[in-house]
Amino acid sequence: MAKEIYKNRIELLQGTLDMLILQTLQWGPQHGYGISQAIRVSSGEVLQVETGSLYPALHRLERQKWVESDWRVTESNQRAKYYSITAAGKEQLAENRDRWEQMVAAIGGVLGTEPS
Amino acid sequence: MRWWRKRSELDAEIEAHIRMAVAERVARGEDEAAVRLEVEREMGNVALVKDVAREAWGWVWLERLLQDLRYALRQLRKSPAFAVTVIATLALGIAAPAAMFTVVDRVMLRPLPYKDADRLVYINDASKRNEHDGRSRAPYLDLQEWRKWNRSFESIGFYTQANGRNFLEGKIATEGVGFYKVSANLFPVLRVAPALGRDFRSDPDSFAKNADEKSLVISDAAWRSMFGGDPGILGQSVKINGEPYIVVGVMPRGFSFPFDPENPEVWTLVQLADADKGRTDETPEYTVLGRLKYGVREAQAEAELMTLQKQIAVGYADTETRQERSGVWLGSYSGSLVEKDAKRALGMLLAASGILWLIACVNVTNLLLARAMVRQREVAVRGALGAGRWRIMQQFMAEGLLLSGCGAVIGLGLALVAVKLFAGGIKHHLPFPVAIVPDWRMIAALLSLTVVSALISSIWPAWMSAHAPIEPALKQGGWQTGAARRQNRMRSALVIVEIALSLTLLVGCGLLLRTIYALRHVPLGFRTDHIIVANLQIPGYKFAGRNMTNNLYLPLLERAKHLPGVQAAGLMSEVPLGTTFNVALTLKGDNTGSRGATKDVSAKLNAASPELQKIFGFKMLAGRFFNEQDTASSEPVIIVNRAFAKAFAPNQSDLNKVIGMELWHITPNKNAHIIGVLDDMRQMTVADPSQPEVEVSVPQITPESGVYKFLEGIAMDLALRTDRDPKEVIPELREVLRQADPALAGSNFTTMDQVVEDSFGSQRLAAHLLEIFGGSALLLCVAGLYGLLAYVVSQRTRELGVRLALGAQRGDLLWLVMRQASVMLVSGVVIGLGLAIASGRVVRSYLYGVSARDGWTLGLVAVTLLVVGLLAAYLPARRAAGVDPMEALRAE
Repeated sequence: MAKEIYKNRIELLQGTLDMLILQTLQWGPQHGYGISQAIRVSSGEVLQVETGSLYPALHRLERQKWVESDWRVTESNQRAKYYSITAAGKEQLAENRDRWEQMVAAIGGVLGTEPS
Repeated sequence: MRWWRKRSELDAEIEAHIRMAVAERVARGEDEAAVRLEVEREMGNVALVKDVAREAWGWVWLERLLQDLRYALRQLRKSPAFAVTVIATLALGIAAPAAMFTVVDRVMLRPLPYKDADRLVYINDASKRNEHDGRSRAPYLDLQEWRKWNRSFESIGFYTQANGRNFLEGKIATEGVGFYKVSANLFPVLRVAPALGRDFRSDPDSFAKNADEKSLVISDAAWRSMFGGDPGILGQSVKINGEPYIVVGVMPRGFSFPFDPENPEVWTLVQLADADKGRTDETPEYTVLGRLKYGVREAQAEAELMTLQKQIAVGYADTETRQERSGVWLGSYSGSLVEKDAKRALGMLLAASGILWLIACVNVTNLLLARAMVRQREVAVRGALGAGRWRIMQQFMAEGLLLSGCGAVIGLGLALVAVKLFAGGIKHHLPFPVAIVPDWRMIAALLSLTVVSALISSIWPAWMSAHAPIEPALKQGGWQTGAARRQNRMRSALVIVEIALSLTLLVGCGLLLRTIYALRHVPLGFRTDHIIVANLQIPGYKFAGRNMTNNLYLPLLERAKHLPGVQAAGLMSEVPLGTTFNVALTLKGDNTGSRGATKDVSAKLNAASPELQKIFGFKMLAGRFFNEQDTASSEPVIIVNRAFAKAFAPNQSDLNKVIGMELWHITPNKNAHIIGVLDDMRQMTVADPSQPEVEVSVPQITPESGVYKFLEGIAMDLALRTDRDPKEVIPELREVLRQADPALAGSNFTTMDQVVEDSFGSQRLAAHLLEIFGGSALLLCVAGLYGLLAYVVSQRTRELGVRLALGAQRGDLLWLVMRQASVMLVSGVVIGLGLAIASGRVVRSYLYGVSARDGWTLGLVAVTLLVVGLLAAYLPARRAAGVDPMEALRAE
């Protein structure tokens, strides 16, 4: 069913997407569209964040109090909801980052020993 | 609501996202309309995005519930007949037991206004083998021994009612009050203290003069009605029957002991006298009330006191008295407040209302099942569109919740109205004023039970259809699947259950109606028409030292006789079937056998005046009734009834021989002769045969005679025969009474017909309620049967059309449906008859003049149910026969 598929994709990305969002917010408050653009640009246009994953992820992060939100006006005079990282969010980010680096190292190790 | 704001915020957020994306691309020089489409495509399913985002909030269940409720409401609005039927059925099913629960709760389960009332028991002397024939109470010396030696009771108190009628002269009014002489520790035994002032000094009871002898504690009701709730009442002197007492305390509101919340009560200390020092027949007796220690059972305490009493009884010098007093029996205090009869009646009615509830639930299950069947296709479509099974079940649950909620609320309302209506009818048989407000815990239990049952019956079909394979249902509408047939069988079974239960209720109802009919046709032995009865509120104390017969009764009778339209007026201690007063007389048997009975004869004693025979039309078996010549100066005379003559006559074959026999002296040194034998009549209740009775002539009762105190100062009924409307005569009569003495104006007035009607007691009440329950049950089961058949016919329209096209006669189709109905009806009736016969034991003790397995009643009820059921079946059957084959087939 359509919904299940969406859910699966979110779950697949969940750990990393949360980390990417928190990392992006390190540079200052940003709205949803800005976050997706920032991730796209900084990944060299490789990572496309889908709206269907982005907003649920943002709301989930907010519920866990890793980010907070308020309504502001953009440079182009648009009203938008800005998200900013909290202290708890920063801790979470550092933790995620450590785990990610361990994971990369571990997977790299495994892939390195593989005969090519 | 926060949630709504958050929801619109999410909308705005997504909208802002889209706008920014579009604005950026437009700034890059792309075409706006095309860009917008492209962005939206990239976004994917916006609604789903929002859904998933919202799920992150954890609020979705509520949102879904609201959605489901809205949807359910829409669905129900589309089929109002279904909704109304379900709601009405549930309302009826809830109202009956809720109303009954309220009453039963008040009467049987409700705690009394004393702390831990379930530990209060009456302690009474009994014979060796614990036979007590309803005898209660005990003399002081016995209870004092119990107090000293027992280990089962925390404390034991006692009291006795002051003789006769008592009047408290208040500041505002003088009223009759219940006047009790109590032991100093009685209120502590009850664990209640005065709300105002103090309790009696808790000196141990002794024979010395008590300091509190003239202290009086009054009930809240007496304080309010007679003293206007004046807090300055404490320390004031008030008069009871002309004797002065000092008010020392006012009991809390709602307190009443012995429990009689309708009437004001006052209490004073009991003063023990020399008479209390003995153990003979003449020793005064007290009602003894003990508080059991925590955890001690009644039987344990009784066993302990039995052993004690065996030793105590040695103190009785007279062997016969000792025999009668060497045992003890206990009776629970709360249990003594409601007559066994009324308790049984309420229990039975509660069971009946429970059956009605069951029928209603079965009916609702059936209706919901039918609805689920109709909606099978809808469920299949929704399943095909991706709805989860759990989600579909949720949906059905919401519908069940909505229906049962509405039913429950309406049912509760109905119950409140019903209790209000019945409160009047019930009052006569119960000591409690039935409060209008039901007990909420009970109602809550009942409600939740109903809601749960409705939910189960709505989820179950939902589960069935949610788990049915989608494909066949979509292909052919699900009509001919095996599951459908199984469900039909299931529904038939439910209808059979309904019919059986209804039949049981109806049989009960029928039997009670027969009982009432039989009671109404018992030959009473006296006339009841055109008689007004006044139960006199006699201020006996004002006539102390004077002859009441000459000073009050005879002049009163004379004046009443001369009221316009009054043909006759008479006095009687208690009119037949009255319930206010009873004096029993035991004549010791004469062992020589020469003069009369060889064994003791216990008889009801009544005073009567000559004109009574004209009023009630008593039939004489032999001899004559009293006449004007029987006065104080003439020869004392006595009239007995047939039952007495039978017990007393030396020769059973010729009862007339008792005439002329001497009985005992009414007046000292003057033996009274029996001058007449009355034919038997109903005295206490319509259902019981006559007890021996002795009547003495009112003018012959003088203060010198031994019975004067009992017969004249306490109870007297004034009976009038008149053709005029009682509503006109009663005020005139009241005025006559007021002139004789102001206190008499407070007498109760009624008619003899009413006295008889009231004496039918709980049977009448039960019959009325059962009529309602039975009628409702019949209605419900007929509705259930009709519903099922109508559904089956609409389901089989196509099949019926095919049959017609293939040459079946319309009569065959009619028969087809009727046959199905008959199978259900006959099986239901057979099972129901079995149930009714099996449950006959429950109602048997309740019936009069009819057996619990009365063939006529069973047969009549069965036939009624069959006929009504067939009528209900005929409508859908005719519709089946009227199917247009062309249309039925074209509908394919």
